Amino acid sequence: MLLGVRGAGVLLTPSWLLLGLVIVLPAAYVFWLSFEQSSFGQAPRFVGLANYVTILNDPYFWRALRNTVVVVLAVVMIEIVLGLGIAVLFAAGIPARPIWLAVMLAPYAVSEVAAVVMWRFLLDPETGPLTHLLAPLGLALDWAVVPSHGLALAGILSVWLHLPFTFVILYAARLALPGQIYEAARVDGASALQQFRLLTLPLLRPAILVAMLFRTITGFRLFSEVWLTTQGGPARSTEVAAIYLYLEGFRYDSFGVAAATGWMMVLAAFLVSLLYVRRLYKDMADAG
Amino acid sequence: MRADRLLGRAGKTVALAAIALWSLGPILMVVSASFRPDREIFDPGQHSFTFTLVNYAHLVSEWPQFFRGLSNSALVTAGAALLATFASALAGYAYSRLRRRWMAASAAAMVFIRLIPPIVLTLPLFPIINRLHLADTHLVLILLYATFFVSLGTVVMRTFFDQIPREMDEAAVVDGASAWQVIRLIVAPLAAQGMVAVAIFVVVFAWNEYLFAFIFTANNAKTAPLVLAEMTGAIDGVEWGVLFAATTLHLIPVLAFVILAQRKLVDGLTAGATKG
Repeated sequence: MLLGVRGAGVLLTPSWLLLGLVIVLPAAYVFWLSFEQSSFGQAPRFVGLANYVTILNDPYFWRALRNTVVVVLAVVMIEIVLGLGIAVLFAAGIPARPIWLAVMLAPYAVSEVAAVVMWRFLLDPETGPLTHLLAPLGLALDWAVVPSHGLALAGILSVWLHLPFTFVILYAARLALPGQIYEAARVDGASALQQFRLLTLPLLRPAILVAMLFRTITGFRLFSEVWLTTQGGPARSTEVAAIYLYLEGFRYDSFGVAAATGWMMVLAAFLVSLLYVRRLYKDMADAG
Repeated sequence: MRADRLLGRAGKTVALAAIALWSLGPILMVVSASFRPDREIFDPGQHSFTFTLVNYAHLVSEWPQFFRGLSNSALVTAGAALLATFASALAGYAYSRLRRRWMAASAAAMVFIRLIPPIVLTLPLFPIINRLHLADTHLVLILLYATFFVSLGTVVMRTFFDQIPREMDEAAVVDGASAWQVIRLIVAPLAAQGMVAVAIFVVVFAWNEYLFAFIFTANNAKTAPLVLAEMTGAIDGVEWGVLFAATTLHLIPVLAFVILAQRKLVDGLTAGATKG
């Protein structure tokens, strides 16, 4: 055996040292903090589940949670539908495909802050070029004033930034499907729509599931897109979970409540993911 | 049949145009507007294009901290990419070569702990980093960014090492090479393509990251995205032209990098490790 247990241990040390110091130990500390009353520079005091009771009784927490769930559900659905459509389009054969791939991937290279600059300008309520185009259709977003418009802007930013990722997962899965099954379907006289409904969609279920799971889990972390546009306002109406956590921890100085919020975020992301998985398994069982 | 096909082609063209508009529209808008005077940026009826560098000149004179931000970003990005690539390559090799049940469990744990949202970790890290006098240093961002890519990096590297036949390293050992020599002389050169792939992910993330930089830096280590956010935050007096110039400077390097590296990556993956 070339690589012994000791050798493997040495090789794993840098990675696990980083993960341990930056993620594992702090996460354990947060878990402990969530049962303490604590603020920066003060000795913590054990309070049991009081922090959890506090947030569960806080209407701002529920609003933040609801906002997060609504935005994430919408964003993930839109990304899956668009990503799937574009993957099918690309797989059907388009001219200069490598160039179009680069076009699709471009927003992946753009930072959240830069994307905010672009979309805030395009959708500026007074001077935005897109606002001028959309206003006659009644679609202009007054995002700094109307809470639902503010969340819609955060949703647009999220889709724009993350569609490349969702698309790549679905496109890679679509390319991995054997071409023969489509040939056979064509020989049998299946239309393009039938091919999509009866072959592509069922065969891509696992990839769709993976993309949905991944995007739901990362989607719950939504912060910059809201923080850099509405800051959660007006009057805390567009807060999402991560902003609620940030404000509690760093502005209102209640680390315990923020820590409890953190664990609620983990739990919520987990529950929503579970719903997807169950739904998709049921679909598959029904189809099969 | 013919009308059908014609309709299909028209549909494809429209769809592709929409994709280009959606993906590239906002980017091109910012880049082109950065070279135009303010009066043209704001007049929707204005279709002339006057080329000017006035926005860049203003950026240099009014926001010198933006250029400090760019150099901080470059330093942090390079450090995080090196650290993450190095750590992932070592761990990926271990997971690829030593197959044990506990090894599989630890590899799964590595992926599983990434489910914890980064913002949750800022709470405990904040007092610790302050206590260690590491707040507002490049080192903190390098450690944080590298850590958040070690899991993905390790998975990528393991997949890569799995493609390199074990017989190759075993033959070297028979010839009297030490484990370290095997890694340095045989495995590392073959794994270079995998390391490029890992580095791309880290570079894009570290160059663009906002949340950690926002919480853990104030002055000294402030990165470019933070200065950009500050410029947008000047809500009553956003100077769009200057902001677009800064956004363009922040955007172009990593966009170019992704396009260039993508090609290299694809070449490397298709050529395979055997070519060396």
